[in-house]
Amino acid sequence: MPEIERLDTGNDIIVCEDVKKWFGEFQALRGVSLRVRRGEVLVIAGPSGSGKSTFIRTINRLEEHQAGRITVDGIELTHDVRNIAAIRSEIGMVFQQFNLFPHLTVMQNLTLAPIWARRWPQARAEAKARELLERVGIPEQAQKYPGQLSGGQQQRVAIARALAMEPRIMLFDEPTSALDPEMIQEVLDVMKELAHTGITMVVITHEMGFAREVADRICFFDFGLLVEIGTPNEFFNNPRHERTKLFLSQILHS
Amino acid sequence: MKTVPVRGTRPAVLAGGQSLPMERPPRGETGLPAWLRRNLFSGAFNTTLTIVLAVVFGWLGWTVLRWSVLDARWGVILRNWRVILWGVYPHAEAWRPATSLILVAVLAVLTLAVWRVQALGRVRQAVLVAWFMSPLVIGLLLRGFELPTLRTIGNNVGYYLFRPDFLPVLNAIWRAPTALFLITTVASITWGLENRLRPRLLALAPVGVLVTFNLPAAFDFSGPVPAALVAPVAGAGGWLLGRSLGRLLSWTEAGRRMVKWLWLAAGFASLLVLTTLEVGRPEFDPAPVLAIIQPSQWSGVVLTLVLASVTAALSFPLGVLLALGRTSRLPVIRYACVGVIEVVRGVPLITVLFMAQVMLPMFLPLDLTIDRVLRAIAGMTIFTAAYLAEVIRGGLQAVPREQVEAARALGLSELLVTSLVVLPQALRLVIPAIMGQFVSMFKDTTLVAIIGLLELLGILNAITKQREFLGTVREVYLLAAAFYFVICYAMSVASRRVETRLGVGTR
Repeated sequence: MPEIERLDTGNDIIVCEDVKKWFGEFQALRGVSLRVRRGEVLVIAGPSGSGKSTFIRTINRLEEHQAGRITVDGIELTHDVRNIAAIRSEIGMVFQQFNLFPHLTVMQNLTLAPIWARRWPQARAEAKARELLERVGIPEQAQKYPGQLSGGQQQRVAIARALAMEPRIMLFDEPTSALDPEMIQEVLDVMKELAHTGITMVVITHEMGFAREVADRICFFDFGLLVEIGTPNEFFNNPRHERTKLFLSQILHS
Repeated sequence: MKTVPVRGTRPAVLAGGQSLPMERPPRGETGLPAWLRRNLFSGAFNTTLTIVLAVVFGWLGWTVLRWSVLDARWGVILRNWRVILWGVYPHAEAWRPATSLILVAVLAVLTLAVWRVQALGRVRQAVLVAWFMSPLVIGLLLRGFELPTLRTIGNNVGYYLFRPDFLPVLNAIWRAPTALFLITTVASITWGLENRLRPRLLALAPVGVLVTFNLPAAFDFSGPVPAALVAPVAGAGGWLLGRSLGRLLSWTEAGRRMVKWLWLAAGFASLLVLTTLEVGRPEFDPAPVLAIIQPSQWSGVVLTLVLASVTAALSFPLGVLLALGRTSRLPVIRYACVGVIEVVRGVPLITVLFMAQVMLPMFLPLDLTIDRVLRAIAGMTIFTAAYLAEVIRGGLQAVPREQVEAARALGLSELLVTSLVVLPQALRLVIPAIMGQFVSMFKDTTLVAIIGLLELLGILNAITKQREFLGTVREVYLLAAAFYFVICYAMSVASRRVETRLGVGTR
């Protein structure tokens, strides 16, 4: 079996060039070009329907892009199943609705993929799972089912589940939007802690406090376009585009 | 105000440490009298209804009870219980169905007992394993079995692997060159794929052995085709063929791995050719352990249970496959499954059973005849599977798309996504419906009486024709009703219990 071809993309772990995506006639992405550096925390902001969610879902092929090029850690995202599998094994994803597997215990949720996709022995997978549950602060819930946990706990389990595959990149699709207000902070704390470990993170969020504190860069999506990208300082204090200014005024003063 | 501690709840405590007691419910709102008043005698209409129904059911029950005590001739069942249980199964071998039934009964009782007691985890596992083993054990017990001799194993394996119908045609003169040709081909393939000396020489060794065997023929120039020419030609031909095949195989890793299977096949084929095993005639040379009693001789309760359990065991995986096929993205698979499901669902079971009797032999080799019972099972299986497929498809569609996405994002392959995430959730959603399908299948086993099989109902019908028990139809049908009801009710209770057990922690 020939090895998967790896391109040299330098210090950029995700390279997107002119990515376009349509749902039927509707164009969700109108040519997004973006390079994410290794170890970077990139926050994506933008109004709903701006294509930001679609964009990060194209990175691990939950949505298929129809034009342009996506390269993850040197592997180009093509129709080749092996490329897709290789890319997905490098990327962990956390969803707005947690999407834990309700028929499995927390422990089984965490060990499922390592055991079946990575072929780890059960003992190793469980050791890793316990370590991760410790890290996200809920070691005592291992034998419960997701339905018995609070939203914040479920989301932390979901983060641990993604980390169990030891990914180099974590994608977060509005991880705190479905949470009750008192639970948002516990999830954000876990994410902040994660950001300091040097893993690459792409985070869609409306939590501008989190963005200001943790993000290396923030980008702003609207109408399927990447409107603006910059450091938190530039983004909050000196936005260049009118759309960004309007968005910021809406989100910061409401 | 009197207060009571409420069992099982934690006492409500206010912020100041002051406990918040609950009041006792008003008198007459709990207990039996309240229940009776609320549910049976809540108004004039309701009270009338209750009394009328009580009278009707009381009268019905009384009539049946009086009849069954005073008039019924239960002798028909007491005298015929063996016939009812295993029918026309040969009398001398009756211990076999009896043992089978006892085995099932013991397992059923054990299951009930074990599931009530929480602490018996390990026993529970043993019982589960016993259930999974039981079809094999009972099947062997009922049908009987023979152990073949080594020679017949060789003959049969050779026959079904290679179907070398040409072998009897093969003259003794041609046998050695044929073997030489086969072995040389594989040796040459190996030679081409290996570049180290030792494996190359190792591959040549069998050729050397064969050549030695062929040496006497090297000086034989008699006959229309002299053996002295045939062997070198076979060897050279094999070598050349092997070289080009080797080049073909070397392109893929799978091809390289195939070589050892080629060796196995060529070695086995050569052995057959050289030792003139009677591969063309796969006669059984049996050493009977339990006398064979074909399924067509099974009957009574035994046949009913065999039909139902085998059909259930086969139709479930088939139903899952059909359901998955129907939701497949590949149009060929999807339309094939839709076709099977819709055609089978559009045809009455009776028709399917007749078709299975008449049509099934058409698709099979002439020398392979299938027992009538097996044909009935095949018909019922495909029928039940089609219905199960629709039920399971409903379950598949009820699993949220996000579950699939989460599983994919974790790097699970499509097969694992389906088998670890989607199917378990889909199946537990439709447990009641699946069990309902099985219950109706169980009752439908009575239809095989029409194609001449004597399952329980068939046997019972036959019993009522016995001269001494003419006119005992009531007794006999009451028994049938009781039998089907008890088993079907047990099935739905079991399904409910499985459902609550699996329901733990689901959203």
